[in-house]
Amino acid sequence: MNTGPELDRIPANARSKALRACLLCSIVQTPQEFRKGGCPNCEEILQLKGSPDRITSCTTTYFDGLITVINPENSWAARWQRISKYVRGVYAVRVKGRIPEDVEAELESRGIKYRPRDQTDQD
Amino acid sequence: MSDVEEHDYRAEDDADMQDENVQGEQEEVDAPQEHEGRRAEYDEEQEDEEDEEDEEEELSGKKSAKRAKHRHKRSAASRFIDIEAEVSDEDEDEEEEGDYADDGFIESDVEDDASRRHHAMLTARTLHEQEDRSPEQIAKDLSKRYGGRGASHYTGDTNEIPQRLLMPSVHDASLWQVRVKAGRERDIVLSLMRKSIDVEFTAKPLQILAAFQRDSLPGMVYVEARSAKQVIQAVNGLVGVYISRGIHLVPIEEMASLLQIKKQEQTVTPGTWVRIRRGKYAGDLAQVVDITENGEDVGLRFIPRIDLTPRDDAAVDGKKRKKQTTGTGTMRPPQRLFNYEEVIKVYGRKLVSKRNQVYVFQNETYREGFIEKDFKLSALSLEDVNPTLDEIQQFSRKQDSEGDNLVDLSVIAEASRKAAISVLQPGDHVEVFEGEQAGVHGVVEEISGDVVTITAKGVELEGQKIELPARSVRKRFKPGDHVKVMSGQNTDETGLVVSVVDNIVTFISDMSMQEISVFSKDLREAAEVGSSTNVVGNYELHDLVQLDAQTVGVIFRTERDSFRVLDQNGQVRLVQPHQISMSRNSNRAIAVDSEGHEIRVNDNMKEVDGEARKGRVLHIYQSFYAFLHNREYQENGGVFVTRTRSLASVAPKGSLVKPTGDLSKMNPAVMQPTGGMVGSGNMGRGPRDRHIGLTVTIVKGPQKGYAGTIKDTNGNICRVELRTGNKIITIEKDKLRERQSDGTLTPLDGRPRGPPGGRTWGGPPQARAANPYAEGGRTPGWGVGRTPNPYADGKTPAWNASSRTPNPYADGGKTPAWNASSRTPNPYADGGKTPAWNASSRTPNPYASGGGAAGWATPRPNSNAGAGWATPGPTATNNNGWGDSSPAHSTSGATPGAPGWGSASGWAGGDTWGPASAPTPAPSAPTPAVTGTPYPSTPAAYPRTPAGVSRFDGSSYTAATPAGGSLYPDDLEPSAEHGKDEEEEFNWLFDPALGQHLKRVKVQIHGTHHANYLGGDYEGKVGRVLGAAKAAEGFEQTAMIEFEDGESRSILARYIVPVEPHELRQEVLVIRGQHKGTAAKVHETPDSAMVALVVKGPEQIRVLEAAKHDLAVLYDT
Repeated sequence: MNTGPELDRIPANARSKALRACLLCSIVQTPQEFRKGGCPNCEEILQLKGSPDRITSCTTTYFDGLITVINPENSWAARWQRISKYVRGVYAVRVKGRIPEDVEAELESRGIKYRPRDQTDQD
Repeated sequence: MSDVEEHDYRAEDDADMQDENVQGEQEEVDAPQEHEGRRAEYDEEQEDEEDEEDEEEELSGKKSAKRAKHRHKRSAASRFIDIEAEVSDEDEDEEEEGDYADDGFIESDVEDDASRRHHAMLTARTLHEQEDRSPEQIAKDLSKRYGGRGASHYTGDTNEIPQRLLMPSVHDASLWQVRVKAGRERDIVLSLMRKSIDVEFTAKPLQILAAFQRDSLPGMVYVEARSAKQVIQAVNGLVGVYISRGIHLVPIEEMASLLQIKKQEQTVTPGTWVRIRRGKYAGDLAQVVDITENGEDVGLRFIPRIDLTPRDDAAVDGKKRKKQTTGTGTMRPPQRLFNYEEVIKVYGRKLVSKRNQVYVFQNETYREGFIEKDFKLSALSLEDVNPTLDEIQQFSRKQDSEGDNLVDLSVIAEASRKAAISVLQPGDHVEVFEGEQAGVHGVVEEISGDVVTITAKGVELEGQKIELPARSVRKRFKPGDHVKVMSGQNTDETGLVVSVVDNIVTFISDMSMQEISVFSKDLREAAEVGSSTNVVGNYELHDLVQLDAQTVGVIFRTERDSFRVLDQNGQVRLVQPHQISMSRNSNRAIAVDSEGHEIRVNDNMKEVDGEARKGRVLHIYQSFYAFLHNREYQENGGVFVTRTRSLASVAPKGSLVKPTGDLSKMNPAVMQPTGGMVGSGNMGRGPRDRHIGLTVTIVKGPQKGYAGTIKDTNGNICRVELRTGNKIITIEKDKLRERQSDGTLTPLDGRPRGPPGGRTWGGPPQARAANPYAEGGRTPGWGVGRTPNPYADGKTPAWNASSRTPNPYADGGKTPAWNASSRTPNPYADGGKTPAWNASSRTPNPYASGGGAAGWATPRPNSNAGAGWATPGPTATNNNGWGDSSPAHSTSGATPGAPGWGSASGWAGGDTWGPASAPTPAPSAPTPAVTGTPYPSTPAAYPRTPAGVSRFDGSSYTAATPAGGSLYPDDLEPSAEHGKDEEEEFNWLFDPALGQHLKRVKVQIHGTHHANYLGGDYEGKVGRVLGAAKAAEGFEQTAMIEFEDGESRSILARYIVPVEPHELRQEVLVIRGQHKGTAAKVHETPDSAMVALVVKGPEQIRVLEAAKHDLAVLYDT
């Protein structure tokens, strides 16, 4: 099936303690997946692929709530979570922590507003 | 599918296109024929719905051919209906433009990364359409497409939109709540994703848009979809989804909050106390040292548990050892600060290395004795840490040099303060220690959530009610308060507060006389003395217990679930209840002291050698060891063991004791006629049990109906030899009935009474069951501890008063038990009503009342009548079940036994009347007239005697000697008995104290069947008391009852019983006991013998407690 790679990305076991959420886009993957393919949404900035250190600093196990986004563009939940432009997949509802400062600076230089995923600033 | 919806999607998509103008290209995706086909389909669909017949005719051959051609496409196209709508919309534009290239769209698709998501779906369709393409090419396209993914631009373009603009609108799909198995929420959410991918290109793709789960909402999954049907389709077949429990629409205004739920954030800051959840250090307290940037790992400092006694072979090389400890994990080593010397002694110098200030040992870092280790946040428990003072001190001890001690204490104070909110109760005395009202103190009136209302006390604010946050108040104690520890390691300690520093209260324990410091939150003011957990399991403080075949010991301290026991060798042991094989009774044991005199339990003795300790004999073991108790000694709770041979009586005229003791034994007249063991006359046990040898029938249980003979009794338990099968069974007495020679059955305790009325006084079995003593269990009255130890707490003066009568036996009659009886349901009172009373009180012998005090079970009117005071009653008492319930009782119960007087002084706690009573046993015996004097002949004396006594006598005389009874105004006062015999129970009906409520009292007719009163027609009927007037003595008392069915008639008072409360908030009247006459409401579900009541007074609400059988339900006014 052509969906192979996508299916691979879906964590096989919810109980797996190893699940990590990206601090920037909140996608949830196993560390192996992050290492192999990076973050499907923000790899350009985070550059997680093949870099365990980056993975530890830019992803976290400390998240709450899993959200499966099947149709990101039409889903309100995805819009609310600001993930409607991202690939479909499994995301975390809330991720605790902030991206490292260098990434934050990088975002700023691109004129992108950083929104932490911990729901601290709800405007 | 409605037009409106279509339109909306179009609008949305247009907007999208404006956002990303690149998407414009994707419009070229579809081939023109396809557009046409689609539109035709749409038309057809509509026509299908509206007028099918017409359509049939209208269809041209061409059109139908087209239709057939596109049939399979249609399924693919309609997979995502919204897309179709979009496409069809674009089609029109394109058609107008008229330029589209068949070949171009794939390239544009691949080249344009930004639009790839949309393309993902379109491509899928394209693939379907272009079935003729080679698989190689498909693969190539795919790899191109997915290969390009990594290069995608992170735009974060939606980040600028304020969250509030993202609120759901009516156009958005709805959220549906689906019930799932708790714990499987995440799996189900993931399964939905996988399922959607799996079935994406099948005939039935999932139409849900999203699904999510929140950790704080267990058992629920939320699915975003346009209809419930889509949800059902999506979750159908997933394990753990409870479709049957319904799929509920989430109101639009609640949608956002579902995603906004925040876990109660427990922030970890350096210095916070946490507990480790798992592993070797599970449950250990640790202090946060640092936290990693992402907040996942926490550096902790805590006390290591290093195994300093590893197995020999293991110590040799570290690897092996490691395996063992992790593998077996048998005993975890105790907490102990890291000590370099100790560790290298065991493990060798090689395994410990030192870097700077830090030791490294087995890959762990040790600093200043503590281990420093990183833990995952999830491996720690941050809530309910409740560090104890001891634990904190362990930490601070080593930190003295650092000086951050105070900071730590403030952290713990903070932690404990949080907990303090939950321990506040109305009535607590609190003070405000922060905020505007700091310094104010008052009594808690009400607690609602985090707000407490207090009634302030003090100069200015006196009486004002103030609302305060619960966290800014703390319990207030002042030196001199008597407090009890409610929680923690010192639970149930009581003591006198000596100092209060902030929230740390230091008090001197009543038990150990040692200073104990606890947090004020763990304290409560309490009047009771001593540890309320004096009883653990079946054992009680100061019990003599058998530890093993050779060892006995005395419990000198009870802890939560263990005892400290001093054994006969003077060693202290910590034992669990299960390590005790049995409790021994040394009440009958005697020994000989250094002067050859007899020692018995409860004698006050002193050591003649050694430390010359004094004490009261608790137990004697094998006539050789004596366990003594003296509250003045701190060690071992005041219990010590010594040899009897090194003891001497402390009685100033010890010589007097001796002849008395001996006399009573030598004098056959004084001896129990029943022939107790010589030398054990003290307890006057007499025959082992009057029930032994009785022929009985079992009336309850599996053996019901069997007849047998009682072979042995032990408290409430009998061993009965059945006639059938030659079997001996053990059974409770209350399951037995005595089988008379004529075949009738009578309750064991209730011999036929004879005149008048022929009622058995034993009463109906259920009444007896209500008697806690009969059950042999712990007596609630005592357990409550209002008078935990009447013998020790200074009731003696009353006796001195009563011992104005020269007769020590009269004292016996007024044993402190009577004082107690005025407050607690007293089994002795039953004695007052035993037929024995009739007999013995006919000879106006107050000693009989003494005997009766203990002799509530004296069922032998004959022997009573004949033998006067020498009733074997006490014997019966001891054998009758309640003697087992508490040693204190058995002592007192045994006291009236004739020869026991010398030592009976012991339990009075003083030497005062012991000697006085000792010399005169003989006079009391032969001169009943003398002993009789106080009561019948000097009624005037009554008001001076303790209430309990007079009450008791009143009742007993009422029953027995009408003439005498009328002398006493106390006749109206019912004795505080219950259950055993209701004859006196109705006296409350005539109690003036209850007068105002009497007409509301709900009563029931009870016991008429038994006596065949009025044919038993009124048995069980419920009604209210219309009136009750006391008839002259000698007549049956009656009361006018209005039954609930409207009938009213007068009923013999003795068949009228109050209805006991059985549910919350029932209004009840206390008809007996301390709170007599109080109308109150039931505060707790009245399912135990003691019921908590609330009394609403004019100013305040009082909570009190009363025995359930002392309560009568009231009708509403």
